[in-house]
Amino acid sequence: MKIFKFIISKIFLRKAILGIGMILLLCMANYITFTATRSILSTFQGYRETEYINQEGVYTANLDPNSHIDMGVISENGTQAVYDYLNNNFNYAFYTDGFIVSVPNSYDMKISLGYMNEQYYRLNEFELSQGTDLDFDYQLDGEIPVLIGKGLSKTYPVGSTIKIDEFVLGRPVTLKVQGILKQNTYHSNYYALNSKTYYNFSILIPVNEAFINNANMDLKLNGLMDIITLNTTKEEVTDLSKVIKDNMGLKFNFFSQQENYDYFNEYYLHSLKIIAITTFILFIVITCLSIWNALVSVRLMLKDFTINLLVGLSYSKLRKIFYIYFGILSFINLTVIFIITAFNRYGCWLRKDATFATYGLFGLIGMDWLSLLVVVLSDIIIGMVIVENMLRKIKKVPISLRVLQ
Amino acid sequence: MTKIIDLKIKEKIYKNKKLQISILNNFNLEVNAGEKIAIVGESGVGKSSLLNIIGLLDRDYNGEYTLFDSRANSLHTSELAQWRNQKIGFVLQESALINSLTIEDNIKLPLLYADSGKKEFKLEDFENVINAIDIESILKKKPLECSGGEKARAVFARGIIMKPQIILADEPTASLDVENRERIVNLLFKMNKEFNTTIITVTHDLEMANRYDRVIHLERRK
Repeated sequence: MKIFKFIISKIFLRKAILGIGMILLLCMANYITFTATRSILSTFQGYRETEYINQEGVYTANLDPNSHIDMGVISENGTQAVYDYLNNNFNYAFYTDGFIVSVPNSYDMKISLGYMNEQYYRLNEFELSQGTDLDFDYQLDGEIPVLIGKGLSKTYPVGSTIKIDEFVLGRPVTLKVQGILKQNTYHSNYYALNSKTYYNFSILIPVNEAFINNANMDLKLNGLMDIITLNTTKEEVTDLSKVIKDNMGLKFNFFSQQENYDYFNEYYLHSLKIIAITTFILFIVITCLSIWNALVSVRLMLKDFTINLLVGLSYSKLRKIFYIYFGILSFINLTVIFIITAFNRYGCWLRKDATFATYGLFGLIGMDWLSLLVVVLSDIIIGMVIVENMLRKIKKVPISLRVLQ
Repeated sequence: MTKIIDLKIKEKIYKNKKLQISILNNFNLEVNAGEKIAIVGESGVGKSSLLNIIGLLDRDYNGEYTLFDSRANSLHTSELAQWRNQKIGFVLQESALINSLTIEDNIKLPLLYADSGKKEFKLEDFENVINAIDIESILKKKPLECSGGEKARAVFARGIIMKPQIILADEPTASLDVENRERIVNLLFKMNKEFNTTIITVTHDLEMANRYDRVIHLERRK
């Protein structure tokens, strides 16, 4: 330890600029590795989640980017006519969320309401930590069974009721907690797979035909945006698209399995490849810069190293010292990345941002830990390359009396 | 007399970026404990290379080397480092100091790598060494603040701090004035007399070389 302290403080860190340069280079390498890994993992999670819509006979609605929403044209009757057409001719999955409501809870979070019909619920196979599956066969004037996120489970255990002013129904309703979702249950955006909404502070409300019929325009219109038709054909969704156009003046596209794959390949797989390749190139460049920085250090300190080798320092001890030094640098950088990530995750709790609040140590979830692990592995690779190159450089100039003269 | 060095070199290839030459061909050397040997010869003949080999700094040669009854080629690098720390002292020119350390830290450098048991004992000796060499006044100075003679004495102090059995000196007085040159040589001879330390010195100074027990002339191969 004494030798390590001596070599690092009296020799290595004597040229502070080189030490700082090394920390910054490693920090850059770690950060890009971390963000790229997390982005890829998150997209992969989103891709797996949406696998259920990438099936034969499944079409996903998407408002055409060139179609303008004119609320003056969209009427209550027209919207209802679309839903009547859907109910009569299609088996469809309905989901919409983002309706914020104030419900007293121990974290003072604003609560997000999500609405889904039975088909959507079956497709998603939500995992519960407590309670039982949702029941969609209920009466609107009675208690509505709901699923809630883990963050609400202390205040509202299974079997308890929540009274809210239901915005989409326009009247007070009583919700009965039927089950608690597993912690960090999430929903990925179909068109931005690495973007997620976490259900830790959500209430998922089952929607049946009566509910939709009694709901306001907001729910119906928002629900239509991502509606998924099941066991259907191209002709049938083309007709549906026409019905929507006729009744609401909106042009909707319905993407088939193949189109979903094409979309994924065109936008996501391609961008993922770019992220991976760019990260790899940057990683190599930063590693080369780090090696260059380390070799400059060795060159400047060659005389000092040689004197130490003359009086009793061995190459094996020097190797150990270099590895400990880079281990400490990596640990510092890893801690910095951990703090940044924890600050972002835990910040959602502090900001009462219910849709992104996650459970874990300081809010860090599985993909964060996995990305940190990848960073550790990349640091091991960088550290080995740098240390072995430094030793090679030192050994290349044999310790001799000549070096000192 | 105890033989401590038995060196038989068939050939040593000296390489640098520009040239590659064969030196020390069929060179044999036997040294007894307590001997004072001067190595002389023109530049490039292999004087420093020979010192590197004797000092366990270089094992890249064709030959055999037995030091204290152990074959140098069979020693592990950590053992070599330990031997350089415990048994061999290097006395070099005054530039062989770490400029960022004080003279005291430079002198104590070998203690850093010594076995913990021996460290206390050697620390006690430190006072005796600096008194004998008369460098107490410069201990807190950095090398760049010292004169050539002061630095040469500091290098000498570092070379003897571990009470080595062999001192290898590579032109330790080359850039010193007469007074300081005499001082360093006397210190080397004092070590030899008091502790029976073997002294092997490379020098260009034939007058000084003649004061040693044995003078080895290295010549270029014809």
